[in-house]
Amino acid sequence: MGQTSLQTGGNPPTIEELEDLAFELRSKLLHLCGTYEGAVHIGGDLSAADIFTVLYNYGLNVDPTDIANPARDRFVLSKGHAAVCMYIAMAMRGFFSYDGIVETYGQLDSAYGMHPCKVQLPGVECSTGSLGHGLPLAVGMALSARGRGEGHRVFCLLGDGETGEGSVWEAAMAARSNELGNLVAFIDRNRQLMTSFAEERIVFEPYPDKWAAFGWNVVNVDGHDMRQLVEALDALPAADSNRPTVVICDTVKGKGVDFMERNLAWHAGSLGPADLERAMAALEASREKESV
Amino acid sequence: MPVTFTFGEMLSARSVIGSTLAELGDEYDNLWVITPDIGATLVEFRDKFPQRFLDVGLAEQACVGIAAGLAYDGNIPVVSGMLPFLSMRALEQVRTDVCYPNLPVKIIGTHGGLVGNGGSTHYAVEDLALMCALTNMTVTSIGDPLMVGEIIRQSMTMQGPIYIRLAVGKSDKVLYEPGQHEVRIGKGIVAREGTDATIFTHGTVVAQALEAAEELAKDGRSVRVVDMFTLKPIDEELIAQCAAETGGRFVVLEDHLAYGGLASRVADVVADRNIHLTAFERLGIPQVYAGFGGDEELRNKHGYGLEATIAATRRVIAAQA
Repeated sequence: MGQTSLQTGGNPPTIEELEDLAFELRSKLLHLCGTYEGAVHIGGDLSAADIFTVLYNYGLNVDPTDIANPARDRFVLSKGHAAVCMYIAMAMRGFFSYDGIVETYGQLDSAYGMHPCKVQLPGVECSTGSLGHGLPLAVGMALSARGRGEGHRVFCLLGDGETGEGSVWEAAMAARSNELGNLVAFIDRNRQLMTSFAEERIVFEPYPDKWAAFGWNVVNVDGHDMRQLVEALDALPAADSNRPTVVICDTVKGKGVDFMERNLAWHAGSLGPADLERAMAALEASREKESV
Repeated sequence: MPVTFTFGEMLSARSVIGSTLAELGDEYDNLWVITPDIGATLVEFRDKFPQRFLDVGLAEQACVGIAAGLAYDGNIPVVSGMLPFLSMRALEQVRTDVCYPNLPVKIIGTHGGLVGNGGSTHYAVEDLALMCALTNMTVTSIGDPLMVGEIIRQSMTMQGPIYIRLAVGKSDKVLYEPGQHEVRIGKGIVAREGTDATIFTHGTVVAQALEAAEELAKDGRSVRVVDMFTLKPIDEELIAQCAAETGGRFVVLEDHLAYGGLASRVADVVADRNIHLTAFERLGIPQVYAGFGGDEELRNKHGYGLEATIAATRRVIAAQA
């Protein structure tokens, strides 16, 4: 099943370019966290920033100027509280204006809110926010593609915490039963829930085995290593193969800002001017550390 | 296969659903049928369109979520199952995945009311209250087995979601001759004319209301019966008209909790439009988890059987203006 490329012009970005984009995404996230007066789910945004970057700039076959093209890959954000990270990643890809997000986020009548709404923001594939709902939606979209003989893929990003919802496993079983090789789930495995760490109160491990037991093709990557993310995308089985794939991305909640990393207090929050400066400095420092 | 029937005889609503969907599958190549292991009557569709039929097994939440995913991509999914589970276990998926983005998902199922003798786990008695609360949802409850085919047909061109409630659906009385009444979603059916009082009803107990009216006619009482098969949006004009034409004397009879279903919808219209009534009585399920028994036995036990309907109608007719 061949896939028509919707990418416009140029070669795909290099690993270095993707890393730069991820840095820019994190900077913009922190900036928004500093300008918006309410809380932003910054911890889970930062853990997923590399995944969003690689999906919107490398993995997803989408065209921001043709959002209803039936040949496009679908993206379902199951962890809807990372909406702002998706908005900014999409803006950087050309879907929306970044300024529009910053100027209106969370305000009355804005299309950009805490959880994404397709009705208010075309370009977003579906309305999510209640956890555990995304994978069933993605299964429906993958079935639709299969039924029509369309060659695109359906990608779904979940948080590990939300895989406590039974509906995720209902959908996992349906995906395997219907041999949906065109379905790819990414799990942001940041090992934190809102109020506790994974394994502390809820035992997730042996986590990859759970997905394998449901018959999925399981790929484990460092979710902050752009090369591994790219390789996982390059190695995806063909869309017309018969097993769904889950890419379990080992991540750090709050990644890139030392005082937010693995800190339950930064599930969601806002940054005052001094904290914003401190966060940006930390982000810069972490980048320098990574590049050594 | 076209369904054959005789007026007044018994017919399986489920067979009407099965044959209607199999027929519509030809006309609409984007029609999908999805079920959580309640597929016995869907065999005809499954055999004709295996690529658009899905049995997810016992997984109501995923069932409704998958339907929403299909609808996002331009398909028309019909979810068919048992209503106690579709309306409650999958309630959040119905509300958030289907109603919030206003997708054309049809939820059609059986076991609305104290029917089927399965006990309280298997009676959907809160479902209409829950579904009527959901923004964008159209809510129907069907008694006449042939009507369900017509409602499914009409719903094919609807933009948003619809809930279609049946009783057991294995053997239902044909109430109306085709063409006798205009069947239109959002419009009540005057199933029997009358001037002394109106019984508003829906679903499986429409037949009981008609029987009550027939009994009362023997005493010279003229009782109107309105099959208010669409609970939402409700036919406000018909309610106002019945108040004016039947002396403001209303009985509401339903196989649902007495509070939260049609009686509450009618009372809302009466209050909102400042309609003057002489008398109002509601007959439905009280706040109990009903036990086992035949459908009719349970209605009698819980105060909304035939005798109770006749008695209540007599009271509203006798009420001082």
